[in-house]
Amino acid sequence: MKKSILISVLTIIVITVSSLLFNGCSVSKKVADKLGTQLWAENCARCHNAPAPGEFNNDNWEIVGMHMQVRANLTKTDVDKIIDFLKSANAQ
Amino acid sequence: MKTKLLILICIVTVSILHAQTNNPRSIGQNKFVVLGNAEATYTATKGESAFGDVNFKPIFLWKISDKLFAEAEIEIETGDGEADLGLEYANMCYMVNPYLILHAGRFLPKFGAYRGRMGEAFINRFAANPTGFGDGGIGAMNETGVGAEGGLPFGDIKINYDLYISNGPQLLTDPDNAGQFEYEAYTSNNKFSAVGGRIAILPFQNSSLEIGYSFQSKSKTGEVSTPYENVGVKMQALDINYFHNISGIKSTIRFIGELKHQKVDKATYKNAADEDFTFTDAPTSYYACATIRPSLADNKFLKNLELAGRYSFFNRPNDAPWGGSNVTQVEMALDYWLKWNCLAKFCYLKQKDNPSVFNAQFVFGF
Repeated sequence: MKKSILISVLTIIVITVSSLLFNGCSVSKKVADKLGTQLWAENCARCHNAPAPGEFNNDNWEIVGMHMQVRANLTKTDVDKIIDFLKSANAQ
Repeated sequence: MKTKLLILICIVTVSILHAQTNNPRSIGQNKFVVLGNAEATYTATKGESAFGDVNFKPIFLWKISDKLFAEAEIEIETGDGEADLGLEYANMCYMVNPYLILHAGRFLPKFGAYRGRMGEAFINRFAANPTGFGDGGIGAMNETGVGAEGGLPFGDIKINYDLYISNGPQLLTDPDNAGQFEYEAYTSNNKFSAVGGRIAILPFQNSSLEIGYSFQSKSKTGEVSTPYENVGVKMQALDINYFHNISGIKSTIRFIGELKHQKVDKATYKNAADEDFTFTDAPTSYYACATIRPSLADNKFLKNLELAGRYSFFNRPNDAPWGGSNVTQVEMALDYWLKWNCLAKFCYLKQKDNPSVFNAQFVFGF
């Protein structure tokens, strides 16, 4: 058991350090160019129906974005694009 | 219990009032909202029918800063004949960078994809859990500990990861439940920890397919200073989730499946007559589900309908007091979506050696 804990802690450290060092992953141009609209449709629908843009106010979208980052392993980059798209609907 | 409920109702009311006064142009960093869902179920089986299982599950979410986030869910459930209050999770998260989150507290471990995700009432197309995936089932459910998680994009694919160290499950040794586990304990029964995690790959650039592998291991699960202290458990799960819009039939189809297995070290338990007994404790459960929804249809009524079918199986240890024959269930559901997170479910469950069950469930997300 001590060995498994050690391996897990080391794995966490390796992921932490490497992600801090590189602070970014190499994505294809097609993925990098995705708009918030597309990411919203793709990522929300992975588990549930996508909520409509007018569902929450801007503050609440930010909170929901962080919740989904935790629950669904979304990257911050994707969350930011999705939330910007959802907020833009409130501005209209 | 009444006092607890009263306090909870006060907290919820104040929280909602606070959340609703949060106007869109507010400039404070600390932001808060209450979301969640309510559920009510009607069940009819041979000779009996009743409304029951009314559940209320508020989720409290705080964005403390761009890096700090806290989430908590309280569950009030009535399925056992009284209002049962529980803390589903209270999880504090630190967003280290775009691809890494460190968290601590009570959390829903990503062991498979059903518990805490596909099994949520506004996501699950059925009123009941697949056999082996609900109460009395197997696999990690709630954990208290620390963990790291995130998503790592590479090229067109994405890898999701979760790793955690937690108190882990506690072995039950009473005659009726010997060899089963308490998966939702708030405290630990010994000084040993569990290690677990999930790694998933999303091989398509549109994230339509996710395949995950989960594990959890705890070398000592029994009460300290008892003969059961050294009984260990290893759990594994495989999950798959795929959805696709087919314009030809104006529909969205979805396939979901999950397999869970756990292996418990050999132990000798006492039955009600104080006699020794032992058994091979290695239960397995799995389910496969398919849904179709004409979500691209022009007709408003039709596009909100969804048809779902599910097969589930629970292989229980033959000689365990809680085991015996395997459980097989086939369930069909016709759902009507009132909103993206509100739906009415009408389900017919057929199970081997048990009467068929009709369930109607109404779920409102808020």
